[in-house]
Amino acid sequence: MSGLLTTAVGSLPKPGYLAKARTAFASGRIDGAELDKLTRQATAECIRMQEDVGLDVLVHGEMERGDMVAYFAELLTESMAISGLVRSYGNRYYRKPIITDELHWQGPMTIDMWRYAQGLTDKPVKAMLTGPYTMVDWSFDEHYGSRREAILAMAKVVRREAEELVKAGAKFVQVDEPAASTRPEEMELVSEALGIVTQGLDARTITHICYGDFASVFHHIANLPVDQLDLEMANSGYNLLNLIQEHNSEFQKELAMGVVDVHNHVLETREQVKAGIRKGLEVLPPERLFIDPDCGLKTRTWDEAEAKLRVIVEATREVKRELEID
Amino acid sequence: MRVTAAGSYPKIPNRPRPARLRQAIARRDRGDITAEELARVEDEVTIEVIAEQAEAGLDLVTDGQIRWDDDQTYIAQRLQGFEITGLIRYFDTNTYYRQPNVTAPVRWQQPILVRDYEFAADHSTKPVKALITGPYTLAALSNDSHYGDRRPLVLALAEALHQEAKALVAAGASVIQVNEPAILRHKEDGPLLQEAITKMLDGIDAETALYTWFGDADGILPLLMDLPVDVIGLDFVSGPGNWEALKRVSFSKVLGFGIIDARNTRMEPADEIAEQIQRVSEFVPAERLYVNPSCGLEYLPREVALEKLKRLVEGVRRAGAVAV
Repeated sequence: MSGLLTTAVGSLPKPGYLAKARTAFASGRIDGAELDKLTRQATAECIRMQEDVGLDVLVHGEMERGDMVAYFAELLTESMAISGLVRSYGNRYYRKPIITDELHWQGPMTIDMWRYAQGLTDKPVKAMLTGPYTMVDWSFDEHYGSRREAILAMAKVVRREAEELVKAGAKFVQVDEPAASTRPEEMELVSEALGIVTQGLDARTITHICYGDFASVFHHIANLPVDQLDLEMANSGYNLLNLIQEHNSEFQKELAMGVVDVHNHVLETREQVKAGIRKGLEVLPPERLFIDPDCGLKTRTWDEAEAKLRVIVEATREVKRELEID
Repeated sequence: MRVTAAGSYPKIPNRPRPARLRQAIARRDRGDITAEELARVEDEVTIEVIAEQAEAGLDLVTDGQIRWDDDQTYIAQRLQGFEITGLIRYFDTNTYYRQPNVTAPVRWQQPILVRDYEFAADHSTKPVKALITGPYTLAALSNDSHYGDRRPLVLALAEALHQEAKALVAAGASVIQVNEPAILRHKEDGPLLQEAITKMLDGIDAETALYTWFGDADGILPLLMDLPVDVIGLDFVSGPGNWEALKRVSFSKVLGFGIIDARNTRMEPADEIAEQIQRVSEFVPAERLYVNPSCGLEYLPREVALEKLKRLVEGVRRAGAVAV
């Protein structure tokens, strides 16, 4: 593959019919088979849209997931449960899970949907997992009483799932850790847990981290046990690139750089995105640079998400043409 | 010994009870109901959560901060000198607040919390305490584009919040709690906190409290003993180091003893709570003790929060000192 590949971070917006079906399923008005049919229909639309836009590395869109932590917690029925709604900010609430018992892998949680999505395209589809640190940090713990114990136990569960994904044929395994930058003093624990998931895994490993004060933990982030870091940039004025430049000798990884803000309805212009890509190229060579949005696009409308991905692809193509990168 | 809340209360219940406030805010955002209609729902929910605290057996309640989006913006957006910007994480929680940005001199314009206090007091069978985010914490959690130095910003906030405290006392508030969690992350600023709190509470004729959470006060507890407040609130769940801190000081004030974990659903057995109360009695006599959750209860689902408060009251009862 050539340099400057384009990709998406993870989630895509759920089409209206799927959002309605999920509500209907939650209140018992449709059955699981009906919901599954519509989930697959939406997943196929995600793949078609990304192919149409021209992304190089696709995501399956996470149509089967509501919350990235609760999705897994609900499948780990023997060790986790959902406590109830807890406010995140403003009028946003999430269903916060509880660790109720010894964590263990009960069976595949992501294989079916990944396999279905990959079967629809010749391009690689990333396999998406929520990382052990985030799984635990965003859950209550009624069992372990020790963050470290809970996180390392969760890491073994996520590791097993990652192995199953690789067995199924996944070439890219992304382990998202949005909670990672919450506590600088726990970065070594983040790294240790992530290492349990990625060590020796026969796939390109990625982690996506967002919302953080990266400067204070940059050394740790630069050394996380993954092949590729996926970081938001557009939302923070590309300040992170300066950090990477300052620590260039230490930073050996691939970087997927976010060049459009996912929290804003406004569509970036092609020139804005090109400027972001060029900034990235001042710091890293094209073969180590992936171009994507800042974060998952699930909070945007379908049309906004498609437009944001399209401007990424078009801007990347123009930069490649101008700089004769292939 | 009295039982109280440290601050917020969850805004919405879980199924099958309807999430009325959440629905009302969504409808207001869509333009389906007016701000006045939303305010009525906020009032009704406030009455509900005051009643739940009383039902649990608390001696001193709060209004649950039902109308507050977060501890910072509710106050900052009603002061002169602030604009509200993007989301930022609140300490190490998985909750976010919109960061206030200081763009001009900070000034008090009109009462912020007075109507809320009066409403709560009118609808409570128990005494209500007024909560104010303190000048140090408001400054530390804001972005400063105007003063260029923390000290003048903190002191300007202290002056503004002094006006608010005076207005609350004039409205009849007999207990005022100032929340200063941020000082635990910046203990070197203890003297600035002292200067600000002294200014803010100068001549305030009410029982005053300064509450902290998410850490321990080891190192600044002697300074907190010199503050012109009656009550010091400490979080013994996130800050077990507070036990060490207690050993190193003569605790001369009333202690706000934060002992049940308001950030985890695990139910503390009532006996465990009673043991903690026994343990703290070596340092502070029962008559100088408020027992409360470690911090605001909004980190928990509503039903868990209520159950935790009931446990707390039961633990106090088992400790052999029922509130009077």
